[in-house]
Amino acid sequence: MNALLDHARSDGSPGLRLPVRGRLVTHLTEGNAMPDGCELARLILKIAAERDRQAFARLYQHFAPRVTAFLRKSGLPANTAEEIAQETMLSVWRKASYFDPARAGAATWIFTIARNLRVDHLRRVRVAAAAESAPPEEQEVAPSSEALLLATEQEARVRAALKALSDEQALVLRLSFFGDKAHSEIARELGLPLGTVKSRVRLALGRLRALLEGES
Amino acid sequence: MTVRHHATDETLMRYAAGRLPAGPAMVVATHLAGCPACRARVGRFEAVGGALLEEIEPVPMAPDAFAAALRVLDAEERGPRATPLPTVRPRRPGTLPGGIALPEPLRACEIGPWRWIGFGVRASAVKLPHDPSARLTLLRVGPGRKLPEHGHFGTEFTQVLVGSFSDGYGRYLPGDLSEMDAEVEHQPVVDPDGECICLAALEGGMRLTGFFGRLIQPFVRL
Repeated sequence: MNALLDHARSDGSPGLRLPVRGRLVTHLTEGNAMPDGCELARLILKIAAERDRQAFARLYQHFAPRVTAFLRKSGLPANTAEEIAQETMLSVWRKASYFDPARAGAATWIFTIARNLRVDHLRRVRVAAAAESAPPEEQEVAPSSEALLLATEQEARVRAALKALSDEQALVLRLSFFGDKAHSEIARELGLPLGTVKSRVRLALGRLRALLEGES
Repeated sequence: MTVRHHATDETLMRYAAGRLPAGPAMVVATHLAGCPACRARVGRFEAVGGALLEEIEPVPMAPDAFAAALRVLDAEERGPRATPLPTVRPRRPGTLPGGIALPEPLRACEIGPWRWIGFGVRASAVKLPHDPSARLTLLRVGPGRKLPEHGHFGTEFTQVLVGSFSDGYGRYLPGDLSEMDAEVEHQPVVDPDGECICLAALEGGMRLTGFFGRLIQPFVRL
């Protein structure tokens, strides 16, 4: 990410000059400021509506290094992780018009793209995408700012819910999310009986669901 | 269609994480196609993926990665992208016995011929378009027939498409998903009012128990 920033920052230097249909992408405007969920969603909508490369640069800067990290943590070798992250970002550009901010936040949508590409890569089959095989209709009207807020709020709620889990619950959840490990391996790793791990996974997921559904 | 038996949290989380094997994932996808409640739950677990993505410590990309991405976009804007691979079309319009349409997620799959495997059961192997190694089976069981009592080495995922069956854990109707854990042994019985067609996949293998079970074990490959 820093490399990209250094590359693209325009502190008086020519930096990155890219012709974009009569305009120039010369720099990344907001430097290091971390964009919030709403802004990230707007960037995707801008790509959909205007093929805006500045918006793409901002998204890339934020997400490409995270997707790479995520895929590496999921067990892919470094170069494969970066290749799939690259492919993920290109898909974000190509499929931007399918992004529906009322259904998922920006991070969630990009996560599902990376997930599907990872599955494709590992098994060359689009099983994970099968349930969504009928692509949603393209957005006709610009989504309301309300809808935008809704999905972004859901992402914030999920982050809060993850924090509300006990350390152990969060660990068990992350292990099952990132690792291809059977529960027996998790059990070995944590030095716990298998039954205990299984009931903890169940508890953690149940609690997470309760938090997300606002029942707790 | 009121769905009464849903996927477990654990299964939906693994599905959302892209970590269910291809066969079980297809059974779950078939369930999701008919179950808005589970689709909403998957959506929440996908949001967990989004949250984990946001909180992760970023790993820098290669210095020229962004420029390389822009070059790809430039090339695509100059000329149309290579046409995507043709999708595999089913040879026949996909229907189940009785003229019932195949559920949407199965339509790209190749449905094998029905074979008799005993116990009043016919089975048809389902091939996934890009993963011929995935084990996925359509089962067609006559009314009132009892399946051999069996356990599993891994979880068994069964989605009811037509008819109904019962086991010690409940009655399963179209749209219902049965998830049977490794430790559990059960003996499904098809309800007497008609045949039952299910889509089934196993993580791991099946362990047939009882005298007949052990007898036919070597011949039953599901």
